[in-house]
Parts: sequence; structure tokens; C-alpha cells
Amino acid sequence: MDGIQIALLGAALAVGLAGIGSAIGVGIVGQSAAGLVTEDPDKFGQTLLLQALPGTQGIYGLLTGFIIMQRVGIIGGELLPLSVANGYAFLMASVPIAIVGLLSAVYQGRVSAAAVGLVAKRPEELGKGIVYAVMVETYAVLALLASIMLLFGIPV
Amino acid sequence: MVISDQTVYAYAVGRVRALETRLLDRGRLERMIEAATADEALKVLAESDYAGAVGELADLYDFEQLLAAELKNVFKTVLRISPAPDQIAILALRYDVHNLKVLFKEKYLGLKSDLLIDAGTLDHENLQYAVNEDDFRDLPEQLRKASEKISEEFLLNRNPQMIDIAFDQALYSRLLAETARLKSEFLTGLFTRQIDLINLKSLIRVKRMRFDRDFLRKVLLLGGRLTPERFILLVDEPLEALITSLAMTDYADLIAEGVRDWIERGSAARLEKLSDDFISAYLKRSKWTPFGPEPLIGYLWAKEMEINNIRLILVGKINKLPAEAIRERLRDGYL
Repeated sequence: MDGIQIALLGAALAVGLAGIGSAIGVGIVGQSAAGLVTEDPDKFGQTLLLQALPGTQGIYGLLTGFIIMQRVGIIGGELLPLSVANGYAFLMASVPIAIVGLLSAVYQGRVSAAAVGLVAKRPEELGKGIVYAVMVETYAVLALLASIMLLFGIPV
Repeated sequence: MVISDQTVYAYAVGRVRALETRLLDRGRLERMIEAATADEALKVLAESDYAGAVGELADLYDFEQLLAAELKNVFKTVLRISPAPDQIAILALRYDVHNLKVLFKEKYLGLKSDLLIDAGTLDHENLQYAVNEDDFRDLPEQLRKASEKISEEFLLNRNPQMIDIAFDQALYSRLLAETARLKSEFLTGLFTRQIDLINLKSLIRVKRMRFDRDFLRKVLLLGGRLTPERFILLVDEPLEALITSLAMTDYADLIAEGVRDWIERGSAARLEKLSDDFISAYLKRSKWTPFGPEPLIGYLWAKEMEINNIRLILVGKINKLPAEAIRERLRDGYL
């Protein structure tokens, strides 16, 4: 095996795991919102906003994947001859967003689902529910930042 | 674990959160109490979610049918949305037992003690058949045993209390067995508290009627948080001893206030109210669980309390009780 496959595994994990996390998170909020909207259809807009929140981790994963693809030359240029060591460097750089993206999206989904309950009782407090969910987002952003800095630091 | 199984409750809890907002609040109940007549009170009720049901009511005195239908609907809704209907269904067992009690009393005492409530798990007609024909094969085990015991012994001792006792014991032994099977700490906590409160009432009743320890031993339910021995020891003590003996338990306030009121006024109404409020407080603790059966169970209870409150107010209004007398019996809200 040479370096390129290992680097692509990194891209696949970043997109895949963060995407799984977002799918689960968005799914939980969606169920909760459907329960509320069954009884109170006017709450659709507000709950949709909450449902979108755990979706960002998937986007961060995809962004990381794109950067890897761009750096190894899969998109926009020549495929670089990568050493195995460099391939591992790309894989490791994808780990922060892959793992933190997976877990934080699930937990953010739980917070958002709880916020759906908050909106059921007090629709005027939607903002506070969003703030709680966004607190979880912080750590996904930090992980994305770490992954990007690592990726651009790899000398190829 | 990352993905807790409890998230299967996301839909149900979301829906219950919306349903909870439609529970009658204190303000509306207060307006019903302040209404000049029972008809006026019913009009206040018609402004709420009960509008449709009240509209169909032909006669004020049929309000029990309205409440029974509401109860049945609530159970049906919660059963349908719950991912684990087992946990909800055992809460309906209470109504099977209620119906059996009514049918047995009708058969042996020839009196219609209460209405049959259509919220249970067993069909009325089957129960009616079982009781009439002494054929209990189709009943669940504990209820079958209790029914057989009554049909064998009632003609010998003719004690109507026996019907209540035998069925309460059967009900709670079934409930505890089911919660052990479901491994639900929350439900176990609920039922053991209810057992304690029933035992407490039995103790006071036995003392007031000056029956002895042996009688109490037969009446007490097993499996509560307080052991039966604790109650039995108190039979020959003055009621003050009861208050001090249980002062270290979380029933202390309820006993101090409820029991004193019972002694002074000779009515258990206050203790009944405080007991219900105690259970409400227990359920309220888990109300905000984001995923799990707790909010569903809490909502069911809240709805039962709401129905009780409506009944209290309407009966009070029909009998022209003063507002204060109704108010002091009103159960605390779940909201």
C-alpha cells in the first residue's frame, strides 16, 4: 500500500463518521419535532431550525474531506506521489473532526430534541434552546479547526 | 453509550410536551369553582380542550360519561405513541381491578357501587361473563386467583371489604411483578409509594374501627418501602406515635397534616388529596427527562388528576358546596 490509500481513508472517515453523527442527531430531533407538530402544526418553522443544528458536523466532515482531496491532488491537479508516512499524516489529521463530529452531533441532537420540548411550552424561548444546542457545536468547530491546521501543516 | 435506546421515545415525548400544554391550568379550575352554578362551571370547561365533549353532553348529570370517555381516549393515545406500550398498559390494570370490584359487588351485594370504567386492558363483557358464570380462566393469573378466592369465600363470611382487599393485593402483586420484569426503577418507585400510602390509610382505618393486629395483617399490601411490621407495631399506639414514628420518612409532612385532619374532622379527604399530591410530586421529578417513558407516565397521571378535579368541582357545584370546600380538595397541578 502506498500513501494515497491511507490519505483517502482519512477523507472517508472524516466525511463518513461526521456524517453518521449528523444523520443520527438530525433524526432524533426530527422525531421529537414530528411529535410536537402532530399536536401543534404551527411549530414547524421553529422546530425545523432546531433540527438543522446537528447537521453542521456532516458539513465540517465534508469540508475536511475536500481539503484532503485537494491537498493530495484528487481534485484540481495532479495526483501527488505520497509516502506512507505522509499518508498516515493525512489520516491522523482527519481524526479530530471524524470522532468529535460523530459524538457531538449525536449529543447536539439530544439537546435540540429537548429544546423541542421547550418550544412546545414556551415558543418565545426558542433562542435559549438554540443557545444550549450551539454550546455543543463549539467542540465540533474546535475539532474542525484542529483538523484543518493539521492538514495544512503536512509538507507534501 | 452514545446512542441511548431511550431516544426511541423522541416522538412520544415531543407529542406529550404539546399535549401537556392543553392540561387545564389552575386559573381555569379556579374559574370553574367560582362559577355560580354547575351549568356555568361546565361552560368554563367548554372553553378548553373539552369543548367538543361538552357540546355533545345532553344532560349535566351525564358528566361522568364525558370524563370516562376522556380517560379512555388519553390511555388510547399514550398507548399508541409509546414505543413500549407494556409500560403504559400496566397502568391501565388499575381499571380492570376497579371493574372487577364493581361487578363482584353487584353480584354479591346487589348494588351498583360505581360505574364501570372503560380504560382497562380487559373487555367489559368478558369480565361480566367471568363474574356471572364464575369462570375466571381467561383472567390474568393474579386476578384469577383473587376472583376464585372471593367466589369461594364470600358466601361464608359475607364481608364486602374482602373484595376490595383481595383485589388490591392482587393488583399490586401483579404490578410489582410486571415492573420487575420490565426492570423499571421509576415504576417500582411509583408503585411502592402507592402501596405505602394505601397501607397508611388501612392502618388509620383499622385503628379508628378498633380492629386488632391480625385484621391489619390481612389487609396490608406487601412490597412497599415501609415493611408491614412497621405498621403492625403501631396499631395499639396512639396516633401521635404514628406521626413521630414516621417522621424520618418522606411521608412525614403528609402524615402530620393529613392524619391530624382525619382525626379532627373524621374525613380522609385531606389525606387522600395529600397522597395524590405526593405521587404527583414524585412523578414531577422525572418530568423533564428528555427521552424515556417518564413524561408519558407523568402525563397520564396528570390527566387522571385533571379528571378527578373536574369531577370534584362538578359534584361540588351540583351539591352546592361552598367554593372553599371544593378548593381544599383540589389536587395540585402537574404543570
